[in-house]
Amino acid sequence: MDDFEQELRQAMLRRPAPPRLKQKILEHRKRQNTEHVHARLLMWQRLAASIVLAAMAGGAYLWHNAEEHRKGEEARQQVLTALRITSHALKQMNQQLAEHSRNAE
Amino acid sequence: MARDWQPDFEQLVNEHQSMVFSLALRMAGDRGLAEEIAQDVFLALDNSLRKIESPLHALAWLRRVTMSRSADALRRRKVRAMDLWVEVDEHHGAQVEEHSSPLATRLERLLATLPETQRAALVLRYQEDMTPAEIAEALDAPLATVKSHLQRGLKLLRSKATCQLREYIRGV
Repeated sequence: MDDFEQELRQAMLRRPAPPRLKQKILEHRKRQNTEHVHARLLMWQRLAASIVLAAMAGGAYLWHNAEEHRKGEEARQQVLTALRITSHALKQMNQQLAEHSRNAE
Repeated sequence: MARDWQPDFEQLVNEHQSMVFSLALRMAGDRGLAEEIAQDVFLALDNSLRKIESPLHALAWLRRVTMSRSADALRRRKVRAMDLWVEVDEHHGAQVEEHSSPLATRLERLLATLPETQRAALVLRYQEDMTPAEIAEALDAPLATVKSHLQRGLKLLRSKATCQLREYIRGV
């Protein structure tokens, strides 16, 4: 290494960092960490809200299905009752007709 | 696998802030920008702290990221080094003079006029005392390219110094 390079090395000694640099870095880091915590909290809140909404939608769907099924069952029972009444009426009518035929003979 | 060394962010800042700031200052040529780069580099270090395996790894990581962020900052600003140093003289001249001899200040000004790649190689060589192989790794460049940048940069700097700093330097 010649004299010029020695001079260059002397000229290139490390400079002291500005006095407040470390403090600024630590403050920035603290701010960034707080922002990360907030962002994470917000993400969890959104996730929880999404889960609640999904559960509500699923519940509503199931309730709707159950209600439809219940109504269907009720209608089926009504039809069966109506058929039973009709069958009973027809049976009575058949008996009366048969009785009437016997009397006529 | 467990590591023996646990990085302490504050200690790393204490140890390396001068190195990071000096590299950024010599690459960017502006104290304000150098401070911003240094902050940026240490915040990036904080985010990557889990990947740092040893003090030497931390040092190499900081050098590499400082050089890369300085290059990015220079590209963003698209300002020539000479203009930057005019700004330094105007705004921060007193602070620069405070810590260095007139010759050192003049040599740094001349260094700032070199092309960015040559300046980067010379700064790492003479500020950080790194070998060409280490510089190649830090700059992610081929060894032959780094050697060429060092030779050309030194030659150019020497010729500029011959013209402008003859009264100060014996070896030119």
